[in-house]
Order: sequence, then structure tokens, then C-alpha cells
Amino acid sequence: MRILWLVLSPLIALAVGLFFLGLSRRVMARIHWRYGPPLYQPLIEIFRYFTQKGSSHGVLFGLGIVLSLAGSIVVILFLPFGGICSMSGSGGMLVVLYMMLLAPLGIALSGGEAANPNASIGISRKLMLALGYELPFLLIVLAIMTHYDTISLVDIVSAQRETASAFASFPLVLSGIAYLLILPAMLGMRPFEVVHAPQEISSGPIAEYSGPYLGLVTIQHALTTFIGISLFVNLVWGGAGNPFVFFLKMLVVLAFGLFVNAAFPRLRVEQAVRYLWRWPTLIAFVGLILVVTLGR
Amino acid sequence: MNDSPMNGQLKKKLDSVFRDIETDVSDDGRLTIHATKESVLTVLSLLKDEGWSFLQLVSCVDWIKQDEIEIVYVLSSYVGVEDGPDAKGEPYAKGEPDAKRESILLKTRLPRSEPSVLTAIHVFANAEPYEREIHELFGVHFEGHPRLTPLFLDREYKIPPFRKDFDTEQYVKDVFDSVPPIDEES
Amino acid sequence: MDRNQLTKWFKAPTKMAHKYSLHAVYFCTGCGVIEIPPTITARWDAERFGVIPAATPRHANLFLITGYVSVKTLRAVIRTYEQMPEPKFTVGFGSCPINGGMYWDSYNTINQLDKYIPIDGWIAGCMPRPEAIFVAVTHLWTLIDKDMADGYKRYRKHYAQYRANQEQVLGELEWPPLFQSEREG
Repeated sequence: MRILWLVLSPLIALAVGLFFLGLSRRVMARIHWRYGPPLYQPLIEIFRYFTQKGSSHGVLFGLGIVLSLAGSIVVILFLPFGGICSMSGSGGMLVVLYMMLLAPLGIALSGGEAANPNASIGISRKLMLALGYELPFLLIVLAIMTHYDTISLVDIVSAQRETASAFASFPLVLSGIAYLLILPAMLGMRPFEVVHAPQEISSGPIAEYSGPYLGLVTIQHALTTFIGISLFVNLVWGGAGNPFVFFLKMLVVLAFGLFVNAAFPRLRVEQAVRYLWRWPTLIAFVGLILVVTLGR
Repeated sequence: MNDSPMNGQLKKKLDSVFRDIETDVSDDGRLTIHATKESVLTVLSLLKDEGWSFLQLVSCVDWIKQDEIEIVYVLSSYVGVEDGPDAKGEPYAKGEPDAKRESILLKTRLPRSEPSVLTAIHVFANAEPYEREIHELFGVHFEGHPRLTPLFLDREYKIPPFRKDFDTEQYVKDVFDSVPPIDEES
Repeated sequence: MDRNQLTKWFKAPTKMAHKYSLHAVYFCTGCGVIEIPPTITARWDAERFGVIPAATPRHANLFLITGYVSVKTLRAVIRTYEQMPEPKFTVGFGSCPINGGMYWDSYNTINQLDKYIPIDGWIAGCMPRPEAIFVAVTHLWTLIDKDMADGYKRYRKHYAQYRANQEQVLGELEWPPLFQSEREG
């Protein structure tokens, strides 16, 4: 049974992630007063990428994407998906925090191998942005782990089940708000779209990918979207008892991200870091102090 | 409108200072100065000191029948001209007549065989791209210009392409139409 | 549009995938590019047919050449075209790439683009309306269906001729030949 879930959960994550990509394009189109592509448009595109003839830029170019994909898949194995968790070890949260770094690192490695200046700019922006949102994110995670007195994601979820969400238990409200503020940055949506910025640095790190490599990167993007949203639902919105409710919660979070995405223009990277280090960090820090002083 | 007060003043001043220039004011009040090649820079700096501090563009005309090439400097001003250089660049106040905001043409003629004139960069720094363009398209040499390198064109032309004796039709026939179509059958 | 016919997907999945994800390169030459913004935004919404602009030639498989091509632009056009992954489709947009258009006697504008890179289809007009782009896309679908959009294959086959033509106009090219063996053969 457990082996079955080990195989199935990345596939479910991929399906959900691709659905999210298609849905987000559709929703953005409706916001723009357009019809938009069909929901399965990402599938068509990935299929097209895999049937095209890609050009490689060295061994690391391919290996970096594999590293990034592997990192994302391992993270997915540790994330509870509405009661299903393939690898519910006690060190869950720490593994997730550690492994989440692999995905951007792999893309940075392989994008840097292509030696495209746009890719280098994109990578440096990605690292700057990660520097920006990792600090509040770590404070939030620290507050949540301290509050529930555990580092296991499964335990956090089951502890939150009693109160339905972290927002409902008083000391964690501030952490939840701070997480909401940095969520677009973690998902790479506008106003924090500095990394890919197609009009500005022609897709940034993925500028040099073609054919199958681009297909893998798109899959990786789908997995990253899934991870970002499901981590939010798990950490501060109490997860869910069954996968269906979990999926609905993820949809709501995605809709929130898309509305922010549609409403805001793109910030410059230093503006983004200034924002991320000011309000979300401040709120998360106050939240952490509250959690520590008030206790459970 | 003929002979607006400001232009009349300027015309008098120019006529008294320079001997080798001709000035005339057209029906709509625009002042045109014909200067020799040697006095262009002096006239330009004098006009700049008078408040005509904005070089709109440098243009070029090929008078093929007179065997001359004419460089045209178009000057205008953002600030009240009458107040002179001491006005500290104050923009027009509300209600002031817009009539002051006119442009001056400064023209100079060069021989067509080897046209060459001193660069105006030291007076107006924004003359640089215009002069580069004229050098490229009309083959006028600007002495003292720091980089007269190609700006727009990708190829070499025997005759600069904007000169009147450049036969574009013949050129297209020789260069672009001589490229053979792809032979799909072979 | 046969995007929803499952049998076609089973019969020729590759063709269908290429048909319904035509990503056009952001490459703006000449005046025709002013027709692209209304095409991809709310008024005409090309995205419902899967046509979206791609920021780099590596992501794209459709090359719209929107207007006159000067000699300097031709260099960039060739480089961009050679960077696109195969299969790739080229469409000349407006009358200038077809025969020079109003720039037929210009000293700096090439007259027939298909002497330098292979073109799969033309949109005539000066300027063609955005609707013409949709007509071109549907024609391109038909061509892909019938295996007639084979510009990239022709480029490979007659590369020596194309390269010779490019060098005749541009002089020495600063990049190595794309297909080494065909050039020698």
C-alpha cells in the first residue's frame, strides 16, 4: 500500500500541478476579458516540447533539471495530501525545508551552464528573491513548530485539525498573515515575477531550454506550484481529512494567488526584497515572539 | 508677424557681429542664417549664449545641380529667449505668448567633392548621433568627431546612399535581385 | 478546429500537438508588429487557439516575420531562425517580405525573404488585419496536417544554397554553418 502511494503521489501532484497551470491561464484570460486556452493546453505544450528536437549545452545542463525534478519529487513525498502521506517520518518539516532548496539550485546549475546572460540575471534574481522570502518563511515555520511542539508535518496537520486552521488559534494568526503576504513570492507570481519576466529578460533562467528540456522544466514548474500551495494549506490552513477537501482548499489558495497576480504589476527585485524584509518579516517576528511568550 | 521683435533684435546683433553671414526672416517670422563653413561654430555658440540652447536636429541636403552639400542646424529654446543667459533657464510663465518659442535655421554649404566641417559636439553634445548619421548617409566628414563609425548601415556603399547620384534601382538590381532563388529541384 | 476530436489525437498525436501549441517568437521587424498586440490581447485573443508569444526562439516553433527586413535585420532573422528547435514554421507577414513591398527599391532592404530562409506561408497585404493572422494559422494547420509545412526540412536539404545566398548579401557570416555535412556534400 505504501509503495503504491510512493508511486502515486508524484503522479497526483503532477496532474494537479498541470491542472493548476491550465486553470491559471484560463482564469487570467477571463480576468483579461478573453476566452483563454483549453484547460489541457499545458499538456499539449508539454507533448509538443517532447516531440521537438532540443539542443543541449553540456552535461550539467541536463543533470541540473534532473536534480531539480528529484528535489521536487522528494518534497512531494513528504507532504501530506489530505490524509495521505507517503513518507511521514518525524523529521518531515526539516526535510521539506532542506529539499525545497534543491529545485531552484538545479535550475540555477543547468541555466548557468547555458551561459546566456539573461539566464544569469534570472538566476541571480531568483537567489535574491529566495533570500527575501526565506527569512520570513523560516520565522513562520519556527513559530508553527514551536507552537505545536513538533517538527513533523503530519503532526502539525493533525494538531490543526482540532481548530480547523492556524488562523483560529490566536498566537499563530500573525504567522498565517505573514505567510499569506509572502505566498506570491514563493509561487513566483506577480508582483514577484522578477525571475521569469518574459518581456524583460526573456524568461530568465529557462531562456536556453528547448525541446524535451523545456518539457521537463514545465513539469518542474507544475510540481513547484503544487508544492508551494500544498505547503501553505498544510502549515496554516489545517490540511484536510481527505484529498478532495484538500484539493478544494488548494484551489482557493490558487485563486487568491491569481487575483494578486492579475492586479499587480511587476516589482523590481530590490523593491521586492525590501517589501519582503519589511512587513512579512516584521509580522512573522512578532508572531514568533507571541508564540514563544504565550505558549500553547 | 513679419519681423517679430525678438528675431529683429537677433538679426541686428548677428549682422553687427559677423561679416561673412547672411540673415533673412521669412514671412512667418522664422530666422534663417546662412553662414560660411568657418563661422558655423562661432555662430552656434553665440546663439547658444543668446538662449537658443536646444539643438533640435542636424540635417543635410544634397544640392546636386549646384554641386554643394548643405548642413542645416535647427535650434530652438525652452526658456524665454529675450531674457538672455541670465534668466537661469526659467520656463515660460503662464500667459506669456508662445510666440517666443520659435526655431532658428543655421545653414552652411560645403563643396560636394570633399565635404568637411568642424563637429558641433563641443557646443551641443547631442549633435553626436546626427553627425554620425550624416557621415554615414551623405559622406560628410566632421572634423574632431570622436567616433564616425557605422550607425545604421550594415554594408559598405561606394556612394553614400542618400546622395542624389546614388541610383537605388540599379543598386537593388545589382545586389538584391542578383541573389538566385533557391533551386528546389536539385 | 479539430482540437477536441480524440480519434485524431490517437492517430497523429505529434501533428496535433504541434498544431495547437504554436508559440510565436517575440521578434519585431518593421511595421507589421503593431498588429500583434491586438491579436494576442483581449480583442482577438489568439491564445484560445494555442498561439502565444514566446520570449526566446528556443521556446518557439512559429516565426512571424512582420514587415520589411533590412540587411541588418536579416542577420538577426537568420540567427533567430537557426536557434529555433525543429519542427519550426515560418510565415512572412505583409507584402514587404514577399517582394519588397513599398521598399522595393530601397538601398538597404532585401526584397524576397525566401531566398535566405525557407517560408511556409505568406500573408499578403499592407497591413494585413489581425484576422489574416488567424486565417494564416488555420492554413498552417492544414499544411501541418498534410505534411506540407516542411520549411525546416527544405532548409536542411538545401542548406548550402541558403548559406551561399546569405553570404552573398551579408558578407562573411560570423557564426559557423548550422549543418556541416550538407554544406560539404
